[in-house]
Amino acid sequence: MAPERLAVVSRIWPWLFLAGLIVFFEAWAQLRVGRSFIGSGYNVQAILLAASAPLMLAIGQTFVIITAGIDLSVGFVMGLAAVCIAQFVDRGGAGAGVLALAIALTVASCLVPGWVNGFLIARLGVPAFIGTLGMYGVARGAGFLAAGSGMTVPVDHAGLAWIGTGWTPVVVTGVLLAAMHVLLSQTRFGQHTYAIGGNPQSAARAGIDVRRHLVRVYMLSAFFAACGGIVYTARYSAGAANAGESLLLDSIAAVVIGGASLFGGTGSLVGSLIGALIIAVIQFGLIFIDVNAFWQFIAVGAVIVLSVLIDQAKERLGRAS
Amino acid sequence: MSQRRIVIRGAVIAAQAALAITLMGALAPAGADSSKPVIALLPGVVDPFYFTMKRGADQAAKEAGAELLFQIPKAWNTADQVPILKAMIAKHPDVLVIAPVDKTQLIQPLKEASDAGIKVITVDTYIGTGKYRTGAGNADFPYSYVASDNTEGGRIAAQALAKAIGDKGTVYVENNKPGISSTDQRAEGFAEEMKKHPNIKVLETQYNEDDANRAAAHVAAVLARTPDLAGIFAANTFSGKGAAAGVKNAGKTGVVKVVTFDAVPGIDQDLKSGLVDIAVAQKPSEMGYMSVKYAADLARGKTVPTTFGTGFVVMDKSNVDNPDVHKYIYSN
Amino acid sequence: MSEGTAPLLEVRGVSIHFGGVEALKAVDLEVRAGEVVALAGDNGAGKSTLIKIVSGVYVPGAGEVRFRGERTPAGDPQAVRARGIETIYQDLALADNLDVGSNIFLGREPMRRVLGLPVVDRARMTEVAREVLERLDIHVPPNKLNVPVRLLSGGQRQAIAIGRALWWDAKLLIMDEPTAALGVPEQRKVMDLIRGLRAQGVAIILVSHNLNDIFAVADRIVVLRRGERAGERRVAETDGDEIVRLMVGDTYAGTRQAGGVRSKT
Repeated sequence: MAPERLAVVSRIWPWLFLAGLIVFFEAWAQLRVGRSFIGSGYNVQAILLAASAPLMLAIGQTFVIITAGIDLSVGFVMGLAAVCIAQFVDRGGAGAGVLALAIALTVASCLVPGWVNGFLIARLGVPAFIGTLGMYGVARGAGFLAAGSGMTVPVDHAGLAWIGTGWTPVVVTGVLLAAMHVLLSQTRFGQHTYAIGGNPQSAARAGIDVRRHLVRVYMLSAFFAACGGIVYTARYSAGAANAGESLLLDSIAAVVIGGASLFGGTGSLVGSLIGALIIAVIQFGLIFIDVNAFWQFIAVGAVIVLSVLIDQAKERLGRAS
Repeated sequence: MSQRRIVIRGAVIAAQAALAITLMGALAPAGADSSKPVIALLPGVVDPFYFTMKRGADQAAKEAGAELLFQIPKAWNTADQVPILKAMIAKHPDVLVIAPVDKTQLIQPLKEASDAGIKVITVDTYIGTGKYRTGAGNADFPYSYVASDNTEGGRIAAQALAKAIGDKGTVYVENNKPGISSTDQRAEGFAEEMKKHPNIKVLETQYNEDDANRAAAHVAAVLARTPDLAGIFAANTFSGKGAAAGVKNAGKTGVVKVVTFDAVPGIDQDLKSGLVDIAVAQKPSEMGYMSVKYAADLARGKTVPTTFGTGFVVMDKSNVDNPDVHKYIYSN
Repeated sequence: MSEGTAPLLEVRGVSIHFGGVEALKAVDLEVRAGEVVALAGDNGAGKSTLIKIVSGVYVPGAGEVRFRGERTPAGDPQAVRARGIETIYQDLALADNLDVGSNIFLGREPMRRVLGLPVVDRARMTEVAREVLERLDIHVPPNKLNVPVRLLSGGQRQAIAIGRALWWDAKLLIMDEPTAALGVPEQRKVMDLIRGLRAQGVAIILVSHNLNDIFAVADRIVVLRRGERAGERRVAETDGDEIVRLMVGDTYAGTRQAGGVRSKT
């Protein structure tokens, strides 16, 4: 296949795959279960809600992966944020002012692990995997300590709960995604992110302050982990230190399925969105058609391998021309 | 080839594939008989306790002529159980039987189910206070709570452990994590009962988040700083497995007495070898049976009791081979 | 060649130590506008070190570098670049995953405003890309203008690196082994480019192992040996043997192996 054609295929295949999945589940659901899969507002909302949790983490993770890095700490920074917002709101009382302050404090506290990640990786030259793995442990411990003996911190605040009801978490995630899409695709910050991922030496020679940029990218990732934690506590009325534990790998999978290479230089937020949707549709769909949900792990794994193979083929054929 | 052509070609292939799969689906037997009540069962985690429960549930479903939907989360936490819960709500079962993984965090998601017209029964664990249909509180809507009396179970375990260590010494509790109604109650019952034994010192509880390996590591750590540890109360399945492994690894079989909740597969060996002194077995099969029976009744418009307590079987090395006792060991 | 005019670049008595090793010792170099000076020498002779001092990456321990009469800001490669000295490294310093325009403007992207927000002006970057390639007489088909540059040929990539330097008004171009990874036709193309640049008045320092290339385009050759200036010859007045002798010292004089030598161009 000619490289230009393959380049187009590799750009649109996640969309086609998502469409194919939806068609598949819809057909099966109609015939076997007797009700519509995608034609139900509740189903669409449930799928979007399920996708929004790892997607929030994936927004920051996309930037990190484009720079050829990885952020393994996002799950537990999310947990730390969930606990922090619960503690702040509990101590602050009711009212929008308290909520706003609590959100600001939570985000500020969680930028610290992001800064530390950036410092370790950009200034001390620690490989991203190891640096963020260390922060994975630190944030985890901090989260559990901040939660006290309970491991979760119940919270009762009408304003916070509103953020977690109905379509609100989906809308919040969507708005943030759109804003970051503009940042990544239209601004110098985004351009430099791609450049650093493609060739950090070239970027440095071109005058880009690579180290400062990387610190910012990791702080951005921590910011979104914090947002994820706040939404979690809003949805479940309790901040759990392990809130994001099972979301880390899904966030990376979403970014990779969306077309990013773990070697850096490629990726997009639209891709990560499709990746998150594919995973959520598979998870929801399998349960909806009464298949053992454990098949979802095999399915998602297969999709990841497929997306990497397509990516590799594009690489190889592109070079050969 | 232009981009548009590629997209069209891709869409055609996708449509053909979907059609093929659809035909395959069409050839398979059709779906549910709409007059049967549909009951969804959603336990807490992959665990022999819940698989044993499912067998009782299957039995009740068969007897009641109901269809049983079943999915099981891979880990004991909210982020795993809630997406499965939502997908099950989408199937509009008549009744949902669930073991909620957190007594606070699952209130809102289950309220959604209730608001959608699905009746909720909680089994093994509860939300809120566990007292349903009282007209008070935000976790009032479920119809029934079917479980062991976990507080009493905790007391029984405390009494058994006190006896095993000669009513004096240092003990500690190995538990899953706080916020789960069942294990919280066992811990409370245990602590309450131990207050009556002034010569027994209870150390701080260790939480293993349902991970047997972590529980074993805790045992090693506690033994390191308290070499004369006399006993451990393991409050659930994985705590028990881990605690037993930890004691065995330390070579303290029979020296450190272990009282465990839940009769995991292999408990008979452990009891006979002296590794575990007492196993307080619950009756998950009965829980599964009763909760699904109540669910079928609810689906048919009958009323059901708001609680049902299943009992315990206290197993030790002397009675575990007795077939009436042995049958209560859980299995996958 | 413009001999009578003042040199664009003057390197006087430059020395530098790394650890205990004296990498360069009292090296002089002069380059005039419209001149191609080849910097030759064996591995470890100090060629890379010297060009890094000229481009501002390293700070010399002694000596000075003057460009257009003024001392260059040592240790500040961006400032040196701003004065008109551009280096084209052996690896080209391109971002492989970005397109031609993005590479030309790397680090200095043009912006425009959309609804009050500053946004990268991609249209301008593509337009300039087309212009630059045209100027260098390099043919890149329109559908390849926006692909990642790793999909382009070695010669095209080399041209983009040179084009980038020119776009930003380089007066002195330092080229480090420009033909090392290229096939013969593309090497010739690069040589043509260099000749074209010289005709436009750009000064070029050509670091190369390839004596063919040196004799094809250079006006003068400065040879370094073990950190010191071993000699300088006008290309028209020397041959490959002599250059090799200067590079390695008299030990291997008379050997005809080094670099595919031709005696005179």
